[in-house]
Amino acid sequence: MPEPTAQSMMSAPTPGLAGAGPESAPDREARFAIALERIAPTRDERLFLVLSIFIGIMSGLLVVAFRIAIEWVRLLALGSAPHAGQLRLIFVPAIAGLVVAALVIWFFPAARGSGVNQTKAALYVYDGYISIRTVIGKFITAALAIGAGHSLGPEDPSLQIGAGVASITARKLNMSRRRLRMFAPIGAAAGLAAAFNAPISAILFVIEEVIGSWSAAVLGSLVLAAISSVVVVRSFLGTEPMFRIPVVEVKDTRELMAYAVLGVIGGLLAPLFSASLGFLRPRLRALPRWSLYAQPAVAGLMVGAIGYFGFPQVMGVGYDVIDQALHGQFIWEILVALTLLKLLATTISFSSGTPGGMFAPTLFIGAMLGGAVGAFEKHFFPGLTGTVGTYALVGMGVLFAGFLRAPLTSVFMVLEISGSYDIILPVILANTLAFLISRSLQPVGIFEIFTHQDGLDLPSMEEQREESSLHIEDAIQPVDVPVVRGGDLLQSVADVMAQTKAHACLVRLPDGSWYALSAEDLTAATATLTPDAPVQRALKSDRAPQLFPDMPLDTALHHFPRWPVLPIQNRASRAVLEGVLTLNDVLARYRGGH
Amino acid sequence: MAKSSQTGVILTSEERLARRRLILRDTVSLLTLFLITAALFVLTWLLHRSFTDHEALLGQRWKARGEAALRAGKPQAAIESLRSALAYGPSRDTEIDLATALAEAGRTQEAFAYFNTLRESAPGDGMINLQLARLAARQGNQQLAILRYQSALDGTWQGNGYEQHRQVRLEMASYLISQRQYDKARAQLLIAASNAPANDLAAQVRIAGMLEQAQDLSGALSIYQSVAGRRSPPVAALEGAGQAAFSLGMYRIAAEYLNRELASPEVASLSAGAQAADRNMLATTNRVLLLYPAADLPARARARRILADKNLALARLTGCAASPSASPKLAPLVSRWSQLPTHITLDRLEQQPDLNQTILQLVYDTEKITAQVCGAPIGDDAILLRIATNPGAVEQE
Repeated sequence: MPEPTAQSMMSAPTPGLAGAGPESAPDREARFAIALERIAPTRDERLFLVLSIFIGIMSGLLVVAFRIAIEWVRLLALGSAPHAGQLRLIFVPAIAGLVVAALVIWFFPAARGSGVNQTKAALYVYDGYISIRTVIGKFITAALAIGAGHSLGPEDPSLQIGAGVASITARKLNMSRRRLRMFAPIGAAAGLAAAFNAPISAILFVIEEVIGSWSAAVLGSLVLAAISSVVVVRSFLGTEPMFRIPVVEVKDTRELMAYAVLGVIGGLLAPLFSASLGFLRPRLRALPRWSLYAQPAVAGLMVGAIGYFGFPQVMGVGYDVIDQALHGQFIWEILVALTLLKLLATTISFSSGTPGGMFAPTLFIGAMLGGAVGAFEKHFFPGLTGTVGTYALVGMGVLFAGFLRAPLTSVFMVLEISGSYDIILPVILANTLAFLISRSLQPVGIFEIFTHQDGLDLPSMEEQREESSLHIEDAIQPVDVPVVRGGDLLQSVADVMAQTKAHACLVRLPDGSWYALSAEDLTAATATLTPDAPVQRALKSDRAPQLFPDMPLDTALHHFPRWPVLPIQNRASRAVLEGVLTLNDVLARYRGGH
Repeated sequence: MAKSSQTGVILTSEERLARRRLILRDTVSLLTLFLITAALFVLTWLLHRSFTDHEALLGQRWKARGEAALRAGKPQAAIESLRSALAYGPSRDTEIDLATALAEAGRTQEAFAYFNTLRESAPGDGMINLQLARLAARQGNQQLAILRYQSALDGTWQGNGYEQHRQVRLEMASYLISQRQYDKARAQLLIAASNAPANDLAAQVRIAGMLEQAQDLSGALSIYQSVAGRRSPPVAALEGAGQAAFSLGMYRIAAEYLNRELASPEVASLSAGAQAADRNMLATTNRVLLLYPAADLPARARARRILADKNLALARLTGCAASPSASPKLAPLVSRWSQLPTHITLDRLEQQPDLNQTILQLVYDTEKITAQVCGAPIGDDAILLRIATNPGAVEQE
């Protein structure tokens, strides 16, 4: 991975508040952060929201320019109506492949690949750093490759461009390292939202695949950036959804069976797609270095040949072909052919290292598959009321769930681009089946496969999503220590402690708060206070933390050096104890696993 | 000197200065960001405008090419062009054109799927339903074809809806005729005729012609006559009226219209074959009218024609009965002839109207039966057979 190291990144001059002396970058940054915390403690927080909007707007503008650049390249290189039998269909993608390979190798090494994993790497490895060169390189090389007919999509590059814009902006504003790391996903969401014209799906995808968890700290900014970018895109490209969606209606719930079949077939096809990419990509990368110049060209030649010999639809992004499938303009035999050929073309294009994304090809294959299954089913069961377009629409979500392994995004994406909730049942059913079948056949998701192939060790978002974090209720124990009142006499409490041989007791105070008194502290108190003094006189000023059974278990951990035992309270009545927690209980629970 | 900040933290004078610098720096940074965004906006706008202008131009160019190819009967070229046009500017008209081109290129299944999808979003669109009807007709799905034709009739149309409705109705009638569903065809044609404007003579003539095909000669004749009654009627109406009347056995009417037709200067617009056929028809008609003992003839002349017809029929019977195989079949007829009075004179015929009727009936029956037994007659016997088919219609006006 040719991204710069954290060290090189920090070697950039970081402005200090006072005159900078000969000191190391981490020292300088630390000093800056401390000074900033002192003189402007809310600066980052305020700028964070303002910058989110700027990032959204700039990402939106860049994505619009990116899409138009792709279209211009396509027009100039392939002509306004490319069709089978034109020789340039073969030569243009090959020549573009050569140019792109040279640009990537000589000038923009970080532009290689789709952009999703690169953004994750920026987030987890490089503290959110994405260089200007990467953004420019991604823009140019992806536009050239996709426009010239390589079977790739603009969404993943848009995601990386957005993340890059965010990273650059945040760096120029001297945001803290923590904030800098948070900006990359915000930009990613903005870029993807602009590319999809679907803000909710973009936010969900970034949460599902990039961040891996819901974070209230970043959610507001994600929404602001995504909405801003979509507003910009719509002001240029119109408010219409990405595809003209046909009438969607599910008249008979028995038809869900037909959609379930689509989910099953999609769940079988998705691992095939993953496996083909997982097989070819590392083998091509293992070839001698000189071949890296030729691989995109050969890929272009092969994809162009598919176009030349009758299926130019597989070339480029293919939104118009998806649109045609959504409107039932292909017979099922053609749809099957397009499904398989697009899968082949995308595998070749992507594995060759040509910059470009997999979202659009995934949607393309899904739409063709859905259309084919729908048309086939309707042929044999004419009573089915769903249109072929409806099946194509559901098919898009099916492959998205099965191949990209983003089930939540896949559902919302279909709902967002269709603008109809009538289709929610078939989508949920088919997507869930596809996701489950695909995962059982191919346990490792495609992004994780690429991560491993690239020698990186990024967190698996799929695993993270499914990890269930432990809560206090998982380690809580019945109250096995004495519970006394604050007004109880010191002597009587000491007697109880002696009888029970407990190492601590819990003291309930008149205001409803609790105190965990250790046997040692009690012994020390009996030495200085009279036996008839109330026990609360032996207590220090602080109180036991308020902990409830539903709180994460790790929140209890840092209280143990101070408290020998922690009272776990009832949320409705804090004077009532649900149980107690000791350090041993917590550690035992962690050792014992889930 | 130390001073408290807004957050309650005591800042030194150096820190206050640094804070001011930070605020200034952030303000400048945000301003710069704003300017960069504005510059990016302008660049994107220019790029977008240049592309959309070009896209619109391409869309129009490909659409025009597609439509021209479709008109020129080159559906394959039209498909390519219209697909390109749709890529640059989706429009319903272009989609319909594309589906039509697919249908004309013989890619029926694709066209069917295309039109069906278009219909899903606009079930009441007349043109889409019409195209689906044509495709169903081509696929031999009669039930669906009729259903879609009916939907097309009930649907909405752009432009001259009245004219388009009529064309669809006529097309549907034509399809029904081809499927030998004459009753349904007649119903559609009669509606079309009643809706057709009185001054649209060509449409009336076309409807009448189709009524003839639907085996409704009376209806056709009625429309032809209506058109022929106009000033400067089209020769096709005169010809149609003459032919329809001729077919119905209404020879007096046929003679009138065939004479008018052949006397019309526009008759030259008809083919030589058609003119010759019409002349033969007129000659036959005239001969019918010469042999037919019309009721309005003077009694003597009428009796003379009856007597002549009797002699013709008797000769025909005699000739036919000479064949040994025919003789038994003609025995009842011969018996009826033998019951006639032996000497029938013109005076007697003038005086006995019942005898006239008996003889005429026997003449007609003789011609019909001998035609069955001995084959189609020729000459005046053939003329008499025509009269015998529907004697009451000959002089109908």
